[in-house]
Amino acid sequence: MLTCKEQVARSSDFLDGQLNVRERFQVRHHLLFCPNCRRFLKQMRLMRTTLRAMPEPPIADLDEIALRLAHEQQMFGKD
Amino acid sequence: MSAADDALLIQRLLAGEQRAYRELVSTYQSAMRAVAYAIAGSRHADEVVQEAWLAVVRNLAKFQARSSLKTWLLTITANAAKTRYKHNRREVLLDDLPSPHGTLGDERFASDGHWRVAPFAWHEDTPEALLTENELRECLEHTLLTLPQLQSSVLLLRERQGLEVEEICNLLEISLSNVRVLLHRARLKVFATVEHFEETGEC
Repeated sequence: MLTCKEQVARSSDFLDGQLNVRERFQVRHHLLFCPNCRRFLKQMRLMRTTLRAMPEPPIADLDEIALRLAHEQQMFGKD
Repeated sequence: MSAADDALLIQRLLAGEQRAYRELVSTYQSAMRAVAYAIAGSRHADEVVQEAWLAVVRNLAKFQARSSLKTWLLTITANAAKTRYKHNRREVLLDDLPSPHGTLGDERFASDGHWRVAPFAWHEDTPEALLTENELRECLEHTLLTLPQLQSSVLLLRERQGLEVEEICNLLEISLSNVRVLLHRARLKVFATVEHFEETGEC
């Protein structure tokens, strides 16, 4: 059976679908018997969705960039 | 965005619709910046993004829906970055730096591989609840800024931009095993930050 330390080492690959069938089974098997590692993995998932939900910093000069690109495209289209 | 959304946006862009450009930039610029940052470094990332935008508008009419608009934009960005600024980064690829709240390291485990200090329950269990704490949000931003260049880029591209691991390998020309290592290290550091905050209520 995997140790907790080994489970943690594989956790990212587990979440990203990077493990083969056997490795995945070993992780699932470990989780079945280990509440600590179940909690750890749940928290890793929460951390990922939290990163995803974090607001992006606004783009300061958005209007200016948009204007320049629109202009550039029009000029370029004429050539 | 679906292929139909992409096609519609392209049409509006080609028609010169100002609002469409605003939409384009606000939707994709941060992903482009993460790619530029990964390849060219913080000093050149903004320049690379500007250059990529120009290449994008000049080639808009040539966009074919063989890939998604996002993939196309990120490929142009990666190419712009590689042409001008690719450092010889082979040696520095897996360099690591300490993070403000450390990581989840060997000291957390006993010699038999069991937890020495097990994860404890967090106060919040949804992203919304966690993010209502301004201080935690700032704390996370701070941790992200202290990650080594490639760790932070890979993490942002995967988690915030939702790219597949394989897409990240292709864009950044990094092997799959290295991307996996970078992602894991970055995640454990962010994990340590949230855990520290949940434990102490402070950054």
